[in-house]
Amino acid sequence: MAEDTFLADDLLRQLMSVGEVDLLVGISSHDADNTISHAVHAIEQSFQQHFVRQRVVIVNVAGEVKDGDGVVATGPGKLVEKNVRLPGITSLRTVQRVTATFSIPPSSGIALRTILAAADLLRARACAVISPATSNLTPASIANLLRPVYREKFDFVAPLYARHKYQGLLARNLLYPMSRALFGCGIRELYSDEWGFSGRLAALCLNQDVWHEEAIRARPEAWMAISAISSDFRCCQVFLGEKSQALKGPRTDIVEVLRETVGTLFWCLETQQPLWLDGERSQPVPTFGPTHELTSEPTDLDRHRIFEMFRSGVTELEPILSSILDPETHSEIKSIVSLEEEKFRFKSGLWVRTLYDFAASYHHAIINRDHLVQALAPLYRGMTHSFLVEHSDSSQAEMEAASEMLCAEFELQKPYLRERWKAKVEVKS
Amino acid sequence: MRQTILQGLEQVYSNLVHMIADFLPRFLVMLIIIVIGLLVAFALKYIFRAVLGLTKLDRVSEDAGASRVLRMAHLPSMTELLSRAIFWVTWIAFILVGLSVLGVAGLQEQISRLFRFLPEVFVAIVILFLGLVIANFLSRTALLAAVNAGHPSAKILSWSIRFVIWLLAISMTLEELGVARQTVISAFSIVFGATMLGLAIAFGLGGQDLARKCLESYLGDTKKEKDKEPQPL
Amino acid sequence: MALQRDNLWYKDAVIYQLHVRTFCDSNADGIGDFAGLTQRLDYLQELGINAIWLLPFYPSPLRDDGYDIADYTSVHANYGSLEDFKIFLTTAHSRGIRVIIEMVLNHTSDQHTWFKEARSSRENPKRDWYVWSETDTRYQGVPIVFVDTETSNWAWDPISKSYYWHRFFSHQPDLNFDNPAVFETVWDVMKFWLNLGVDGFRLDAVAYLVEREGTLCENLPETHAIIRELRKRLDLAYPGTMLLAEANQWPADVRAYFGDGDEFHAAFHFPLMPRMFMAVKLEDRKPIIEILEQTPEIPDSCQWFIFLRNHDELTLEMVTDVERDYMYDEYAMDKTMRIHRGIRRRLAPMMNNDRRRIELLNGLLMSMPGTPIVYYGDEIGMGDNIYLGDRNGVRTPMQWNSASNAGFSLADPERLYAPVISNAVYGYRAVNVDAQERSEHSLLRWMKSLIQVRNAFRVFSRGTIQFLNPSNHRVLAYMRQFGEETVLVVNNLSSSAQAVELDVQRYKGCVPIEMFGRSLFPRFGNLPYLLTLGPYQFYWFQLRRI
Repeated sequence: MAEDTFLADDLLRQLMSVGEVDLLVGISSHDADNTISHAVHAIEQSFQQHFVRQRVVIVNVAGEVKDGDGVVATGPGKLVEKNVRLPGITSLRTVQRVTATFSIPPSSGIALRTILAAADLLRARACAVISPATSNLTPASIANLLRPVYREKFDFVAPLYARHKYQGLLARNLLYPMSRALFGCGIRELYSDEWGFSGRLAALCLNQDVWHEEAIRARPEAWMAISAISSDFRCCQVFLGEKSQALKGPRTDIVEVLRETVGTLFWCLETQQPLWLDGERSQPVPTFGPTHELTSEPTDLDRHRIFEMFRSGVTELEPILSSILDPETHSEIKSIVSLEEEKFRFKSGLWVRTLYDFAASYHHAIINRDHLVQALAPLYRGMTHSFLVEHSDSSQAEMEAASEMLCAEFELQKPYLRERWKAKVEVKS
Repeated sequence: MRQTILQGLEQVYSNLVHMIADFLPRFLVMLIIIVIGLLVAFALKYIFRAVLGLTKLDRVSEDAGASRVLRMAHLPSMTELLSRAIFWVTWIAFILVGLSVLGVAGLQEQISRLFRFLPEVFVAIVILFLGLVIANFLSRTALLAAVNAGHPSAKILSWSIRFVIWLLAISMTLEELGVARQTVISAFSIVFGATMLGLAIAFGLGGQDLARKCLESYLGDTKKEKDKEPQPL
Repeated sequence: MALQRDNLWYKDAVIYQLHVRTFCDSNADGIGDFAGLTQRLDYLQELGINAIWLLPFYPSPLRDDGYDIADYTSVHANYGSLEDFKIFLTTAHSRGIRVIIEMVLNHTSDQHTWFKEARSSRENPKRDWYVWSETDTRYQGVPIVFVDTETSNWAWDPISKSYYWHRFFSHQPDLNFDNPAVFETVWDVMKFWLNLGVDGFRLDAVAYLVEREGTLCENLPETHAIIRELRKRLDLAYPGTMLLAEANQWPADVRAYFGDGDEFHAAFHFPLMPRMFMAVKLEDRKPIIEILEQTPEIPDSCQWFIFLRNHDELTLEMVTDVERDYMYDEYAMDKTMRIHRGIRRRLAPMMNNDRRRIELLNGLLMSMPGTPIVYYGDEIGMGDNIYLGDRNGVRTPMQWNSASNAGFSLADPERLYAPVISNAVYGYRAVNVDAQERSEHSLLRWMKSLIQVRNAFRVFSRGTIQFLNPSNHRVLAYMRQFGEETVLVVNNLSSSAQAVELDVQRYKGCVPIEMFGRSLFPRFGNLPYLLTLGPYQFYWFQLRRI
């Protein structure tokens, strides 16, 4: 029963007043304290500059905030009239605001579910989700997320960023090539803080019985993209400029990030088996704006420590790794551990097999799945170290070529994953 | 003399015939009861399986992580397990009832003793099994957290947790079986063990995240070092 | 029913705007006239209006719809004689209908005898009645109004070999108000009509009366001084008459023409009109609330005049570029519907003949603060003919019945000043007064009841307005209050049914009475008042404490 009525009455009443809309922008402000007003301001400016005629609504999903900025977006009544006005330009219609308040800050998954429900009920044509915790949210970037859906009839819009050379290595070395090989979609930023989607994708996702799953609690966006692909919906990417830095500082807790991203990706492999296991599917993903840009200011990286953590991890976790990895893969990894730091390379073939072993073991639930994902951390560090050494002087083109080769490797070894996936469960302690 | 022997034989024969005449019907009754028991047990198994299927027990057990434990122990799904247990319990009950029909002296007493002792054995096995699973899980949690935080003595920590929980599990098992009560009590009057276990169980079961965070913070502030790693996303 | 003696009559009036030419032809020459109009006064009286605003009927070469006047104290021969006008005026007054006429002070026709004399020689006494110059470089930087047709505000007069000033067409030389004789003559002209019994003037192009070097020659203090002087004389000699300003400007700029209640009695609220259309199309109350919030307070004796459509294009001067594009896209996709910066269409075709939307807009017009003006033919939902040039498409003959020429004239159809509308939807056989008077549920009957309700309550004409801001933006709700009278107006601007919760805490205990059917609604309580409205539906509630 609780499942059937997860939308609060108060929110429903607000939605009733809003009625049908063309555009919806959702903000999940669960971990943002003082940034809502900044985000709301950017969205309103975006509407005023780019969508003056459209019926628009801002949906803010927030934990209860006593005072401060959380109040800005609450209660559509009296605050709605105080829309920001740009000189000379103004939306023809009221920019409506809706706030879904939760007694405790909701997770991204719950926030997204609320936003999707609002989008579905309001029959929004184009939607975007943004995180107020990003610092350089501009009106143009919000418009860029909405436009392909609203005007070009795309169903999922992933962002692309200008990045530092060493930024986003998990995306570059794992998430992007693996999802591209398995799901046939070349979305570079499968995990991001902002993305766009269509009303019909919102309805599709909303009606799936997955909302209690741990995997989409923290980062549901990749699951949304993969759902779009599995239903043959159109996906695209838009260039949004520099990668937004989270206001609370960059997230470098690798275990946490792995859990949120790789965990979800593995879970998607599990739930979307027909998509990659039995058939080949490939969807071109058009890109608006430059495909990617790299910058390379010097950074303060401790390569030695990364390598040490890889080495100690592989040694200490041997029993765990042996249960996850294929014996051959495992022994290869053990052999490279003993190499000297400067000679050490994590070859792409080995890396791909390692990941496929992990994916298969995740599928067979060889050990606790959370533990399994955690056990990937040292190996990821190894790959990172290898990448840093290999590409310390690489140009953008060289890095891109390497990335393409890695993608090809993932593609090449797909049969290996299929084989291990379908193999009979062999449980080790 | 001959007469006496013949009489004796006749007596024995007559007794034997009487015994057989007396025993055969009982045996047949027993067989019938056992066969009926088998049928009833089968019927109950299927009914139980169907009912459990309707209650979606498997999903609940999957959510609770119990299924994974079963899978690791090479056991079938929760529904299957329970319906099989019902089958055996029912059938064994019928078999015992059937045996009692035979009226074999002493057997009935043995059977009732067995019935009295069975639950204790069962509980002991369960405790031991759970203890092993929990020890395994928590030690692995600790190991992964420690390794990923770059702690040098991860294995020692992991092993000590595993050892303490094993100890607890074994002692509880022995306690349950009523064996070596004194040894168990003296062993576990040691405060250290109790404290460690309390913490491990409370943290481990209460919240993996919390346990991990506590471990991480206990193992030192790693944030500074983390900043020297490239941003993953 | 004689005229009520009330100097503030213009505040409570419902005005009917018409051109004599378009209304009724009594002499079968194909052109409407005063005798015909007089015959149709019964109709207007029944409609419930209590003032008529007549478009120019003066002798004129008609190169600017009669705004190029060649004689200020006479009637164009097409429309009858001065006697006919007097009879019309007396008959109207006897039916309780006042008459407002056009007066163009800024300029005359170049065919006016004053200008003919002035250009005849530089020594002529009337020479200084107009603005002359040896060069065309004076008043540099003053914008040209009709950029389509004029290249300069100066025109060369080959007769007197000098330039004359004209803010509008070159055949409309501006009068020189720096010359006191001009002012006195103009006042004499106004007295002429006032003495006949006219109740008010709509003063055309008032912003441009005086020219000064180094200014835009608009809204100058000297212009205001002239208006104040006119007003002073008017109040003294003809109390109960009124001046209406034509100034297509933002309310804040028009505000100056009310002075301290010592200049104009009334002025048009131009920006509100396109926003009513916009709000209905956008299904959002924002445009209306925004413009009314920007409208300044005006003195108690003054009034805004508001309208939906008039004889000109639906002007889009007072909107932003974005808004104008939107209006064009939604109401004038066909480019022939556009003219200057506006839309040359009538109300009913713009609403796609959707009775509910026509009613909603009229309901808005009648319940907003101001004196409403109904453009002739809109009360029966007349159509337009966008294939006639200029704005003549909205000036076709009034459709009285399904007889030949729509009952407008007995002349041959070819002789009519403009063809009657004859298409299947808006043609005179489908849309005419006769048919609608017979049908109980016609637009005409509905308009009559609307005007009747409006006339029964002064709160509409004189009350304050206070917007309720329910969270549903498709609903426009406001309280009108005047003395003890309180009215709640709730409009659903959207094409779908809507629910709305109104915060009526201040009026707790009041019983709302629906004003058309006099039905009682549940009393206002502590909770937000829930109403449901059908597509484009509106309610007027009289609030009573019982």
